[in-house]
Amino acid sequence: MSYIALGEKAVSDIAASDIVETVPSALIILDRNLNITSANRAFYQTFRTSADETEGCHIYDLGNRQWDIPALRTLLESVIPHRASVEGFEVEHNFPTIGRRTMLVNARKIFRPGDHDGFILLAIEDVSEERAARKESKRNWQLTQSIVDTIRDPLVVLEQDMTIVTASKAFLTIFGITEADARGRCFSELGQHQWDVPALRHLMEKVLPENKPIEGFEIEDNFPGLGRRVFNLNARKIFQPGNHTHRMLLVFEDITDRKQRERDAQMLTNEISHRIKNNLQVIVGLIAYEARSTAQPCVQGYKAMEARIGAIAQLYDLISQSSRGRTIAVDAYLRQIAQTMSGSLLGNTPGIKIEVKAEALDIDPDRAVAFGLLVNELATNAIKHAFPDGTGRVVLSVEQVNDQIELTVADDGVGIKNKDSTKIPEKRGSDYVAMFVRQLGGTIAPSGSEETGTIVRIRLPLLLVPPWGAGRVAA
Amino acid sequence: MAVILVVEDDVFIREIAEMMIQDWGHHTLSASDVDEALSLLRSPQHIDALFTDIYLKTAVLGGCELAHQAIKLRPKLRVLYTTGNSVTDKMKTLFVEGTHFLSKPYTKHQLQDSFGDLLAT
Repeated sequence: MSYIALGEKAVSDIAASDIVETVPSALIILDRNLNITSANRAFYQTFRTSADETEGCHIYDLGNRQWDIPALRTLLESVIPHRASVEGFEVEHNFPTIGRRTMLVNARKIFRPGDHDGFILLAIEDVSEERAARKESKRNWQLTQSIVDTIRDPLVVLEQDMTIVTASKAFLTIFGITEADARGRCFSELGQHQWDVPALRHLMEKVLPENKPIEGFEIEDNFPGLGRRVFNLNARKIFQPGNHTHRMLLVFEDITDRKQRERDAQMLTNEISHRIKNNLQVIVGLIAYEARSTAQPCVQGYKAMEARIGAIAQLYDLISQSSRGRTIAVDAYLRQIAQTMSGSLLGNTPGIKIEVKAEALDIDPDRAVAFGLLVNELATNAIKHAFPDGTGRVVLSVEQVNDQIELTVADDGVGIKNKDSTKIPEKRGSDYVAMFVRQLGGTIAPSGSEETGTIVRIRLPLLLVPPWGAGRVAA
Repeated sequence: MAVILVVEDDVFIREIAEMMIQDWGHHTLSASDVDEALSLLRSPQHIDALFTDIYLKTAVLGGCELAHQAIKLRPKLRVLYTTGNSVTDKMKTLFVEGTHFLSKPYTKHQLQDSFGDLLAT
């Protein structure tokens, strides 16, 4: 087998031949008549030929004239004669042996002492896959850009240094800038620097290094040509398989109208809550007025009434604290009821403490009043009857048990002689408990016998979030 | 015994609040809006504490504005706010430093406790 001619060679030339045989590029040497004098191993492997079929053959005749390519003819006959070297000459051709390929050809004239005709060294690199990948990438990019342009929400793609790679048509239109103005510009410099917010910058700096998306960052500002707007920003890291460059997709959702509706609803809720609570204050005032001229044994009843009103009022507090709230956080509701009861019923008995142990569960507002009054009634019963010496502890707790909510009101007081807890409310003189439990579709669960104190367990259906929303109202 | 200025636009609520306060032996003055209250605060009348509703007629945060002006006129005045609205963080930033808050509906005992804390400071 004869590879690229070595002749009488020095040691350094032998090393050069090793390199020639090792390089991945196909190499051939042509004489001045374009006959192949030698080729390297990569050439034979790439074009599935041999030295016998190649050496001495005219380049155009090689392999059933598969190298008789107009582009190659142009290179060899028109370009090379006038230039010492040519680099990056691209030849795309359907080779019978290996199919359609894109070859990158570098050519260089080689002269030896005394030889004026010289040789031509051709280095041929198969760049088909790279070119195909580039085309695929371009097609993907065009497809992506088409999708991006059809999305109504403005969005931009940012480099790691927060400069804009591309912006959707919606972005350009809404913010009144051209694509040329946007590209390469730092995101924070856009408009009147509305986006240059430290908190946003801090979050954006974490998106790429920590792969930490931004969800729902709100910005409200005056935008030129748009007026006062509220935008909801979401950002996440994007990358292509095989591409090590990571970029950030930043989407702007204009939530101005939604925000206004929420604010209107909030204002209305606050107004209604304010009026209701003022009316409740009038009722509490009436009770206070009556209580002034009532015999002492009846005062406790008036206090209980105040606590019931307080439990209802707490509900409106919770509802009005969220513009989107449609369910009530049971844990927060219990804490507020406990706080109100501590203020209204325990004024003269500071030795009694009310504690709350609650899981994060929700109930719907339709049943929240009954739930609050039920808790109030059970706790009031405990406070009234369990602690004749004025000291003790009442624990209000809720937890989910299978598909039910279990409300437990426990005290460490004197207990009751008859441990039949289903009759506890009646024994305690309150029909309200049974009524509220029925209203809630629940049952009074049997309790085990305790050494001291009383435990009342109520099982209620797990109240479903109503279909119109899922916002949770918490204190 | 202290002198309490009660500022409340709802006549019934205001009078019941005065009645509660008077039952504990305090003396009360009353106003239904910011201007009436400021007239009293600018007068030579001795006043120990201001008990004001935040939402006063058309002034949504009238009680907050009143308290700020009241403290300028009488720096040692103690202030107790009340409202039927839930108190937002934004609203809290408008409170005069060191003042107290009682949400509606408040009971006689809750009001008594609040005044106990307020007058003890």
